[in-house]
Amino acid sequence: MITVERLTVAFGAVYALREVSLRAETGKITAVLGANGAGKTTLLRTISGLVAPKSGTVSLDERVLTRRKPEEIARLGVGHVPEGRGVIAEFTVEENLRLGAIVARVPLADGLDEQYEAFPVLGQRRKQHAAKLSGGERQMLAMARALIARPSVLLLDEPSLGLAPLVTAQLMATVAELCATRDLTVVLVEQNASSALRIAHHAVVLNVGTVVADAPAAEVAADERLRQYYLGMVE
Amino acid sequence: MSGTARRGALALVGLAVAVALALVLAPRASDAIAAAAVATVTAVAAFVGSLPAVRAEHPALARAALTVVLIDVVVFATAFLSVPTDFNLATGAGMAIVLLGLSFLTGASGQISIGNGAFMGVGAFATAIWANHHATTPIVVTLLIAVVVGALFGLLLGLPATRLRGPYLAGMTLAFAVAFPAILSSFSSWTGGDSGLQLPNPVTAPHWLVGLFRAGTPTLTTDTLWLTDIVMVVTGVAFFFMANLFASRTGRAMRLVRDNDVAAELVGVPLPRTRVIAFVVSAAYAALGGALWTLLNNSVSPATYGFALSITILAVIVIGGIGTISGAIIGGIVYAYSTNVIAWFVARTGLDPQGNLASQLNGIIFGALLIVTMLFSPMGIAGTVRHLRQRRSQRERG
Amino acid sequence: MDSFLTSRVVTDILGGLTNGAIYGLVALSLVLVWRATRVLNFAQGAMPMFATYLGMGLLSYHWPYWVCVGVCLVAAFAIGALTERVLVRPLYGKPEINPIVVMVGYLIILEAFAAAIWSTTPRSLPAPFSPIDWRLAGQPVGLSPFSLFEVVTALVVMGAIVTLFRFTRLGLQLRASALAPEVSRLLGVRVGRMLTLGWMLSTAVGAVTAILVASNFFTGLTPQLMDGIFAFGFIAAAVGGLDSPVGAVASGIALGVVLQFVGDFLNSNAIILVALGILIVSLMVRPNGLLTRSTARRV
Repeated sequence: MITVERLTVAFGAVYALREVSLRAETGKITAVLGANGAGKTTLLRTISGLVAPKSGTVSLDERVLTRRKPEEIARLGVGHVPEGRGVIAEFTVEENLRLGAIVARVPLADGLDEQYEAFPVLGQRRKQHAAKLSGGERQMLAMARALIARPSVLLLDEPSLGLAPLVTAQLMATVAELCATRDLTVVLVEQNASSALRIAHHAVVLNVGTVVADAPAAEVAADERLRQYYLGMVE
Repeated sequence: MSGTARRGALALVGLAVAVALALVLAPRASDAIAAAAVATVTAVAAFVGSLPAVRAEHPALARAALTVVLIDVVVFATAFLSVPTDFNLATGAGMAIVLLGLSFLTGASGQISIGNGAFMGVGAFATAIWANHHATTPIVVTLLIAVVVGALFGLLLGLPATRLRGPYLAGMTLAFAVAFPAILSSFSSWTGGDSGLQLPNPVTAPHWLVGLFRAGTPTLTTDTLWLTDIVMVVTGVAFFFMANLFASRTGRAMRLVRDNDVAAELVGVPLPRTRVIAFVVSAAYAALGGALWTLLNNSVSPATYGFALSITILAVIVIGGIGTISGAIIGGIVYAYSTNVIAWFVARTGLDPQGNLASQLNGIIFGALLIVTMLFSPMGIAGTVRHLRQRRSQRERG
Repeated sequence: MDSFLTSRVVTDILGGLTNGAIYGLVALSLVLVWRATRVLNFAQGAMPMFATYLGMGLLSYHWPYWVCVGVCLVAAFAIGALTERVLVRPLYGKPEINPIVVMVGYLIILEAFAAAIWSTTPRSLPAPFSPIDWRLAGQPVGLSPFSLFEVVTALVVMGAIVTLFRFTRLGLQLRASALAPEVSRLLGVRVGRMLTLGWMLSTAVGAVTAILVASNFFTGLTPQLMDGIFAFGFIAAAVGGLDSPVGAVASGIALGVVLQFVGDFLNSNAIILVALGILIVSLMVRPNGLLTRSTARRV
């Protein structure tokens, strides 16, 4: 479980997050929604230690993560798939996965087998440079690379960005399945609210750095005002 | 216009005092007339340069006036200093020109050269070689030839610079500095090999000047003074041109290249050309400095222009303040007096002056200053002073 | 082709390989640091020089040769780590000339300190193997046990570095830290340590090079030992591409052979001139090196 309490983040005089509090339950998908610049990416980057907050805390279960280095947080079981996927294009598919397995406690071969089973296309292209992969394949690689370390928390930043609707749907299904089978805590940041709400249990809506809604996903999806003003979902 | 009137009155008073002093102190009538003439020119230039209208609308004229004042003051001072001091200052002035070129390269394009000692050597040898073949060429022409040769070498090395990122260019200039001694010995029939070259005849003052003016002390001859002052005047002119270049459209375009080359390209600054121009200018300035050193020493030796000089040049300009004009002047003074200061320090601390430590103190101090400057105040002395002044004026206002 | 010319060509190739191995090692050490931290280390020659003085100085206290070599390597690791932590770390993210200037300052200060402590008089190091050429039919062949040792050492070091980078977990982390530091940190890679390690490895490769160079009868160990070698090493690295370890090594060896011919058939002054010409031309043709895939600069 990830607990964020009264988190404030500022870049110079610009506030990216103001007093944001939220909870992501274990075994559930928590969607973080909002327009461009709402502070969604900053929230994830603060959780994983890339950005230092001005005040407030982030904890993983009972452990406080704030002021730890990103590499330490990763070693505590937080997997972060960054915006734009962060796949290392100069590496082969397998090298990317091996890098993800650096902090894993299971043998490398088992981890690789597991991921190739979950994402067969990666197995077929294991010797290819990641630069040659399509957008959807890169997203799968980025997810597999995070999962191979057996994290307890998965932070996903805009996984649907640049993907075709069909691929997005497939991806969301995979996320939902992973969450259920592995008891993962998933924080899913999305601009594409409808596809995220379809799989999420809980949803938090951010607007210019503040929380404007924090409710079960179904409620958010049903709220006409939220849909119109913050999620840009017009029938 | 009362401000102008007041400035005019001040200038007149200053002029009167200077003329009176000249008439009282000068041993001969002709000296007094010369001194009075210099004072008049200075007063007029100071007056014109200080007018707000001139400074606002004709900045180049204001800079010209400032240059005249500074040259006058320095030239006047050299007549009263000792021969070693004059020689030291002139050496520092030659170095200041080199530093100015490097400062421009970095300040205007964000590039750096570790080979400017070699470009300096190009100018120094070009001067000596030319003078040995055409002994009657006027000094100005010889200096110009040295500048052109330096610029050509700069162009040759600068051509790849059009597409190079900083570290590659720095490495290439370093290779040039390391290769320079070999270049000199490859052409030893021209460059005189290891022993270098002598000038066929030393620089002497023209007859009309000797008739008009005689230096005050027996050691400081008119010829020595003439040589020193030529260096000072050339330095002044070089700084004047550079100040204008810094302020010009080209200079602004270059600073944009330094700060953000992608943005510069987007607004239409031709990157390759800008980079090459900056590099060529810095090479030409280095060559001019080297040419003046040849005149001052009446000879040139290849040992002077080794790798160590290139590194020293980089060190003093960084300490003075790279990217600024005043940094070049400060660097020149630091260069001129570093040897004296270190000798004084060695004497004070009782180190063995012949010992290993004393002989390496120069490198240790320069190296340490270079690192400390870059880590804590990358704009050097000039930048730090400017920063402090800005802070003070802000505090006074707020 | 008459036999005299044949033997001259063979001798040049063998001698060139020996020099080229040295250039390749310097180029490799430059590439290691450049890839890890985007710093062109102008003190790349001076740091190992200092380590070599520290280690090989123990020879005068009758320490065994190979123990001294070990001490050199340990000293190199320490110098590399300290340098990265103290001098280089504050420079990340600064304009690219800042690290250049700092490393030049470091070069000055290291050479000055070495001269202050150990004087500028060359100190001869014993070569571990005979530096006298083998003879074939009474003619020296351009290869001695020591120069063979140089080539073998260079190949072993290069092979070790390539193996480390290509096939080990540590190498994977080293490469990832250089290519994508932020992503690497998110995956739990201790990027700071990797950068330090890059500097340590590079200085150690440099120390091996410095020992080989200083063991040459004609040079001996001096504070300025590596100045000239550095220039050739840089030229090799720049021609091969600062991002490519294999390219750096290959162009170092090629440069050594070409320059040996230049020195033999023209004259010794022409060597650095030709090298400079090669550098200028190759940078004009391929600014990122001849042996790298050209990639657009990241903005």
